[in-house]
Amino acid sequence: MTVALSCEDVSVSLGERAVLKRVSFEVRRGEVVGLLGRNGAGKTTLLRAVANGLPGQGGRVVVFGRLQAAWRRRDLARRVAVVPQDLHVPFPFGVAELVLMGRAPHQRMLSFESADDVARANDALERLGIAHLANRSALDLSGGERQLVLLARALVQEPQLLLLDEPTAFLDLSHRTLALRIVRELAAEGCAVLVVSHDLTLSARACDRLVLLREGEVDLSGPPGEVIDAANLSRVFGLEAEVVAGPDGAPLVVPRLSG
Amino acid sequence: MIACCLFGAGPAVAGPPVERVISLNPSLTEIVVALGATESLVAVDSASQRQRAEFATLPSVGGLFDPSLEAVVSLRPDLVLLVPSVEQRDFYDRLVELGVPTVRFDNLRFEEVLDNIQVLGGLVGREAKAARRVAAIQAVRGAVEQAVSEKPRVRCLVVLQHDPIFVVGGESFLDEQVRTAGCDNLGRELGAGYPRASLEWVIAAAPEVILEASPIVQGKEAQGFWQRLPAIPAVASGRVQPIDAQVVTMPGPALDQALRLLARALHGPAIDAEIEVQLRGVGP
Amino acid sequence: MTLAVLFGLMIVSVSFGLLSGPSALAPADVVNALLDSHGVGAIHDIVLRVRLPRVALALLVGASLATSGVVFQALLHNPLADPYVLGISGGAALAGITMLTFGAAAGFGAAAVPPAAFAGSVVATLGLYAVAGVGGRVSATSLLLTGVVFNSFASAAIVFLASVSGLADGARIFLWLIGNLSSTAISASGLVAGFLALGLGVALVLARSLNLLALGDETAESLGVASERHKRWLLAATALMVGAAVSVAGLVGFVGLIVPHLLRIVIGADHRLLVPGAALAGGAFLVVCDTVARTMLGGRELPVGAVTAMVGGPLFLWLLRRSQQRVVAP
Repeated sequence: MTVALSCEDVSVSLGERAVLKRVSFEVRRGEVVGLLGRNGAGKTTLLRAVANGLPGQGGRVVVFGRLQAAWRRRDLARRVAVVPQDLHVPFPFGVAELVLMGRAPHQRMLSFESADDVARANDALERLGIAHLANRSALDLSGGERQLVLLARALVQEPQLLLLDEPTAFLDLSHRTLALRIVRELAAEGCAVLVVSHDLTLSARACDRLVLLREGEVDLSGPPGEVIDAANLSRVFGLEAEVVAGPDGAPLVVPRLSG
Repeated sequence: MIACCLFGAGPAVAGPPVERVISLNPSLTEIVVALGATESLVAVDSASQRQRAEFATLPSVGGLFDPSLEAVVSLRPDLVLLVPSVEQRDFYDRLVELGVPTVRFDNLRFEEVLDNIQVLGGLVGREAKAARRVAAIQAVRGAVEQAVSEKPRVRCLVVLQHDPIFVVGGESFLDEQVRTAGCDNLGRELGAGYPRASLEWVIAAAPEVILEASPIVQGKEAQGFWQRLPAIPAVASGRVQPIDAQVVTMPGPALDQALRLLARALHGPAIDAEIEVQLRGVGP
Repeated sequence: MTLAVLFGLMIVSVSFGLLSGPSALAPADVVNALLDSHGVGAIHDIVLRVRLPRVALALLVGASLATSGVVFQALLHNPLADPYVLGISGGAALAGITMLTFGAAAGFGAAAVPPAAFAGSVVATLGLYAVAGVGGRVSATSLLLTGVVFNSFASAAIVFLASVSGLADGARIFLWLIGNLSSTAISASGLVAGFLALGLGVALVLARSLNLLALGDETAESLGVASERHKRWLLAATALMVGAAVSVAGLVGFVGLIVPHLLRIVIGADHRLLVPGAALAGGAFLVVCDTVARTMLGGRELPVGAVTAMVGGPLFLWLLRRSQQRVVAP
């Protein structure tokens, strides 16, 4: 099936406040969809609703043709990987241990890691350029290093649907590029990707489609070239900027600093 | 009115007998009752109340940890009796500040208890009776000492509680009593007061007699407890003797009765006759 | 393998416990007494009736407390949690001390205290779980808060009981509150052993889930853990384990807090090693502390909780300093 994730009229309220109002969109296999919006627009909430389900959630979330609630956790975890924005690790797990945890859904309850598991973990660490951190304690990582570890863990989970919440917030530009390149590679292998991001310029390049969220509602969705223009940026983000075509054809956002 | 005095700091205080007495300690209450001055008691502490049914109708002024200043003062006593303690030190200071006539009675030693009887006798106007009581106690003590002097000292342990094990140590009133009664108190090895002993030490100390002063309800458990340790000589020879804790541990007017009880527990009922013999001054 | 080392440590501590005591016995005598279970005499009684049961009980209680420390710290995402934080200790203490104070008058002997305490711990845990778990999900924060509040209430009630009880009971209450292994019959060890086996079993089977749960419920769920179900099992089994230990030994402190910490420094955070490691190390630790408690003052006996506090307090401060010296980059 081509549609990996389908949100239909998803609504979430936290207390009295309606955070998400009837959000509907799709993510197909091999597609990278970017979820954009201002702070507080509901992006992270939407990601959590899709990943775990939130109490009192209205509407339907359909993953690979089945209702989210109908999936057994383990089966879902074998197909869907989540990369949260950050991870608070209160215990001295090592980086390699954390990455290996991504294999948990594929392992039997009482088994230890197989050689195959370890090989996959090492590959992921290499791919993300953090092999040298393998024995470092999680308590000693910088924010950026933690994000790369989280991404490695997701890779090792062999997902068919990947959900990322601002996976590059603490990364320098070269690592940001690396992360998004890997995301594109996964999509090319058939993975469906939903990524929340604040980086308009990189999202315009990495994503096939963009969904713009404003005050809990889908304001606009479509290919970056169509969606990203000055008028939309102003309306959805309150951002005064010029949009020009970049050398690779995708739009470039140039915020107006003066005036 | 009797001025506040520090017991032992000066000559015995004389004055008209008091009419309104508050006792804050069961041992002092017992002395007052034994001297026939019960009617002078207007209030007692909660422990004294528990000990004697007839005090149920008397007002209580609280216990060791929680004496009520207000209750004491509102009763306008002529005399307040208390035993010095860490817990009531501040209370005593408050009473003195408020000008309440208070006398403190140490009762850590045998001789101190005898002095208490004498002094209280003076305060409540029963000197003669007090003197007779003291004399009787001293006579019994002398007799017991004589009666046991020929016998070998018994290696004994006085157990106040057996779970955890609290024993009578040295430099305590009870230590003096049992030693008078012919016991070699093994608990002295552990220090002063009422130390907590380890079971292993008890077994290794190998007492010939164990005087069990645990509260009544524990009585059956106590026997079962010791029967599990047949290596202890006292257990093997059946000489785990229950003794009446109330009588034996009370530093009050019945010291002679306590001594007799202890002697009997240590040496068997035959000792009674020998004590009588000594008392009458008859015999070899 | 580190577990082998810990096992060796446990054996060493047991030997230490059996060979030490206020009545200095020759090792040869101790061994003979152990081998000849039908012998008689003071040495036999000391070794088989005093030291052996104490060492066994210390092993079981120490293992229970340390293992539950590990589990609770994972479930509450907090390396500073100790097994008493959820109000289990409050419930056990309140019920046990109530029985201690009023049981004699009602005809119950000292043997009724452990079952009462155990019942109290079970009731407290169930009640707390019910109160804290609103809407089907139990958050770590609400569990912690409810537990803390309940413990305060229990403490107040215990102080009240202590002040109305006689001096003899006062001593027993004090010993119960600080933790004491001297007053238990062998039969109680069976209770602790049973629940230790249960608790260890559940924790070992769910050890991988513990790794994941330690990172947060949402993370665990996204990695396939049925977190509510596993948490229920873990909480229940561990609460029973702690309840049994506390009902028999009172509130022995620091074992459930310190041993997991120390182990993490040595073994790391993988619960598949931490859980069995904690059982071994916790048992060894408490055996050593209890041996010191009954040997340090000659014939007099200290409660084991006094020793664990004397050792654990400074150790804990050192661990705290050490953890604050790490520089955590934003």
